[in-house]
Amino acid sequence: MDPNSNVVAATMSSAVTPRWNIERPYLTGRFHQEINHSSSSQVSFSSGSDILIGSYPISVQELLIIDDLLFALLGIEGRYISIKRLCGKEPHLLFQIDPSTDLALQELSQRLFPLCKNFISINDFVESKSHFNTGLVNHAFAASLRTLLLDYQAMVAQLEHQFHLGRLSLQGLWFFCQPMMGSMHALSIVIEKLSANNLSGSGTLNLLQSQAKSMAGDNEVRNLLEKMEQSASSAYLHILERWVYEGIIDDPHNEFFISENKSLQKESLTQDYEAKYWQHRYSLKDSIPNFLISTAGTILTTGKYLNVMRECGHNVQVPISDILKITHAGSNHHYIECIKVAHAFASTELLKLIKEKYCLVGKLRSMKRYLLIDQGDFLVHFMDIAQDELAKRPDEISVEKLQSLLGLALRSTAAAVDPCHEELTCCVERVPLLKRLAMLKKRVIPETGQPAFSFDELHEPVNITGLETFCLSYKVRWPLSLVITRKALTKYQLIFRFLFHCKHVNRQLCVAWQLHQGFRMINIVGTVISGSSILCRNMIKFINSLLHYLTFEVLEPNWHLMHDSLKTAKSIDEVIHHHDLFLDKCLKECLLLSPQLIQKMEKLKLICLQYAVAVQQLIPSMCMPPVDSMFSDSIISFEKEFSNGLQSLGPMLNNTCEAEPYLTHLAQSILGDAGDN
Amino acid sequence: MPREIITIQVGQCGNQIGMEFWKQLCLEHGIGKDGLLEDFATTQGGDRKDVFFYQADDQHYIPRALLMDLEPRVINGIQNSEYRNLYNHENIYVSEHGGGAGNNWASGYHQGEQVVDDIMEMVDREADGSDSLEGFVLCHSIAGGTGSGMGSYLLETLNDRYSKKLIQTYSVFPNQVESSDVVVQPYNSLLTLKRLTLNADCVVVLDNTALNRIAVDRLHIPNPTFAQTNSLVSTVMSASTTTLRYPGYMNNDLVGLLASLIPTPRCHFLMTGYTPLTVERQVNVIRKTTVLDVMRRLLQTKNIMVSSYARTKEASKAKYISILNIIQGEVDPTQVHESLQRIRERKLVNFIDWGPASIQVALSRKSPYVQTAHRVSGLMLANHTSIRHLFSKCLSQYEKLRKKQAFLDNYRKFPMFADNDLSEFDESREIIENLVDEYKACESPDYIKWGMEDPDSNLTGEGSASGLLALKD
Repeated sequence: MDPNSNVVAATMSSAVTPRWNIERPYLTGRFHQEINHSSSSQVSFSSGSDILIGSYPISVQELLIIDDLLFALLGIEGRYISIKRLCGKEPHLLFQIDPSTDLALQELSQRLFPLCKNFISINDFVESKSHFNTGLVNHAFAASLRTLLLDYQAMVAQLEHQFHLGRLSLQGLWFFCQPMMGSMHALSIVIEKLSANNLSGSGTLNLLQSQAKSMAGDNEVRNLLEKMEQSASSAYLHILERWVYEGIIDDPHNEFFISENKSLQKESLTQDYEAKYWQHRYSLKDSIPNFLISTAGTILTTGKYLNVMRECGHNVQVPISDILKITHAGSNHHYIECIKVAHAFASTELLKLIKEKYCLVGKLRSMKRYLLIDQGDFLVHFMDIAQDELAKRPDEISVEKLQSLLGLALRSTAAAVDPCHEELTCCVERVPLLKRLAMLKKRVIPETGQPAFSFDELHEPVNITGLETFCLSYKVRWPLSLVITRKALTKYQLIFRFLFHCKHVNRQLCVAWQLHQGFRMINIVGTVISGSSILCRNMIKFINSLLHYLTFEVLEPNWHLMHDSLKTAKSIDEVIHHHDLFLDKCLKECLLLSPQLIQKMEKLKLICLQYAVAVQQLIPSMCMPPVDSMFSDSIISFEKEFSNGLQSLGPMLNNTCEAEPYLTHLAQSILGDAGDN
Repeated sequence: MPREIITIQVGQCGNQIGMEFWKQLCLEHGIGKDGLLEDFATTQGGDRKDVFFYQADDQHYIPRALLMDLEPRVINGIQNSEYRNLYNHENIYVSEHGGGAGNNWASGYHQGEQVVDDIMEMVDREADGSDSLEGFVLCHSIAGGTGSGMGSYLLETLNDRYSKKLIQTYSVFPNQVESSDVVVQPYNSLLTLKRLTLNADCVVVLDNTALNRIAVDRLHIPNPTFAQTNSLVSTVMSASTTTLRYPGYMNNDLVGLLASLIPTPRCHFLMTGYTPLTVERQVNVIRKTTVLDVMRRLLQTKNIMVSSYARTKEASKAKYISILNIIQGEVDPTQVHESLQRIRERKLVNFIDWGPASIQVALSRKSPYVQTAHRVSGLMLANHTSIRHLFSKCLSQYEKLRKKQAFLDNYRKFPMFADNDLSEFDESREIIENLVDEYKACESPDYIKWGMEDPDSNLTGEGSASGLLALKD
């Protein structure tokens, strides 16, 4: 055994070996001898006696050889049998018998040499693999090999006893060694492969298993190897047990098939778009023991769930009874049952924790209330008090001021009773929604398989204000950040910005409407005011239909679907999945994923907004009765632009309707019943 | 407290329906008869009491309501009822002499004029007490003296002083089938209608004829009392404000609610329908209520609280300008679309042709404190052109009376009609005729061009000539 390879192994494993241990790794067995006689390469058969064995009569020769063989069986050189270590590509042992021995005896003894050789290599293996850094599995394997070797040594001792009683012939020796030969041979093949590939952990287990399988014909050997595998895996199963029952990786030798990336902190969930924490904090390695491959995923999630609970400060342990002691025996699939039980326990416990203690549904409901404007009264008030601040350019807006106004709005409306309203924060983004969508397209929005649209051609509105870029944010805390990840929050925000701007347009149109109301004192029939109020009415109809579609046809039904499926969800992963599905569906049905339509909508909204602003500027300064030709010109042009916009929207919606049935709802509500004809 | 609404109830009828309205609101918000929150209502939230109430220093809720009458009977009744501690006593105005208006619009109007300082002081105080007043709601009847006359004066004054605020009225139209004890009701109605047209942003028309019919036919009450019809009114009033009190996705302010219903400044008369109806919490037959059932029933004329005076030929021409259905209760949101789809397929609604139109739906929560036998209930607010037949009826009754020059002496006693100056009547008539014409024009697909191409048909409009100038090219 080359000590250098152990140095390499030592650096690879997680534990560090003291220096003296590296320099003199083994203090027992042949290694000890080896160090003492580092240059014992010359062969001399005459160490014990000067007389050649050949000069004795055959019966004496036999006795001498048996005596030597009994030593050789324990790996000790005799007088006439030498053990030579050939340092070739792979270390190799050569047994030599004094050539002057009787040929028949020589022949018979040589048959025993493989057994001797196997003993030595197994013994070496036991020595070297018992070493600290070879890993628990190898330790366990080595330990069971050691018990086997004890049996073997006991056998040799008995043979020696027989020999002393004079009852042992060479043939007898050969006969008695037979049962051991096969096992020792099989084991030596195993350890040879093991050492050659420097296997540890699951590699060792897999090798043992495959060897046992390939020895299917030889029942005895197979049983032996299976037993070996069982005892070797017991240490491994202990690691597994701690993982699936406690969520702890107790793996000093880096053998377990789940690795922990400690650099990923749970706090990263509120920043990281990819939610790496959940995906990569714990991950499967390549080397999974074969018997666990089918359940590896379950095992991983079980521990992950337990970990989440521990991170939340709940030391949850799967209640272990004797039945749940994970054992692995051959074709017995008891361990799979245990894992299933643990998994079921962990997922229900975690789900209970998240749903009950951390009140997931309540949080989602509050997200819906604020970011999906489920209860819009706070927004009405907020827009009332913050309109001056929001009308500024995004870089001039004081977010702190908005935040305090938002707080005021929340406290004085129905939101006041919701304890979650304090988690709500304001932010003002720099870019308008369309551009943000284009930027986020790659990061947030799943590939839909549609041809890539580009948002680039859109001409950007020159003067964007806070109204175009205002957004709400929500402080999500561990462990709910598992479900409401940064990515999910971004999706909520995209929907919010769209809704918010629709509300803004609606509001401005309502102001314009109210200005028209001022004309009821005079008869405006046939005047431009009457035309303008009809245009205003149509625009309000448009924006209301859009809002109605977004809220009652998209958000509300999908939310209900998600809410129902959350009730039946069995694990946190399912919850995450349903929630993501909900957001993706909403995003898609809110048109945010189809650039053409969203651009069209933005354009129509822009016309409405420009109209509303124009009306608000022109009407108050208008003399009665209204004869302002500039006003009538601009109304006529708005009217033209708006109806052209609506008319082109019709076919666009109808064309895409077939692929996306939800758009029929939108078409019907925007274009009204006339849309059918 | 944002977007508050001040309710002003004028006259006998106004105070009666107002009283019922506040009873209903108190029930729905869990507010006791003395304004204190009931024990069961302290924990749950999510409703907006502050739109219609404010809290006194001792936390009891006070309605933002002004009670006005020229005779003390009804208001005394309120002050002796178990709700006497609910109202702010400073907000109650009863004329000192207590003589009433004698069912004379001119008297009511004139008395209003004389006490304007007292009344407006109350209004101003109440308006100052709110953060961002959204508007006023006026409850009155248009037939009597106080509600119509004083109400009219109040409308003009409010419109003048609070021109930026919305004014919505719940106006009870007199029973035009049975002979009324108020013979001058056509005069009063006409004069009030002028103010409703010119000075209100929105008028919810509650037709006593239809309310009686509904009570008799739908609720099987042979001789409905005022209390019973008033409870119908309070149901409608409270239901039409649910989106303000139980905020949802949309229609969280009054202006948004009204803007979607009213296309042009004068076409602001709304019809209502409500289903399933019960009176005084007396449960009739319990029906199966799905969203579709409710929406379909809302479209049936028999559930609409305005009588249809149209002849069949004209009725078929009548069109909906806009519809808002406020659906309350446990509703599966997917049902909404399906119901709208079904209604569209069966062509149950006849919409105007000159602009996109469809039924708007607002889903609203139900009060958790009011137990109802029905899962879903619905209110329809609709702008329907057939309302013009109601106005035509008013006009024709007026014409009949006017031709005979009957009962005009009572009016001549007051400054507005002094020296036999009846131009106010003529002006009012003209405005109502215009209104009828405008609603009629809404039925035609060319409404947008109405008055622009054919000036002869519309000589009555003051603004038409200038409008032509503006658009001539």
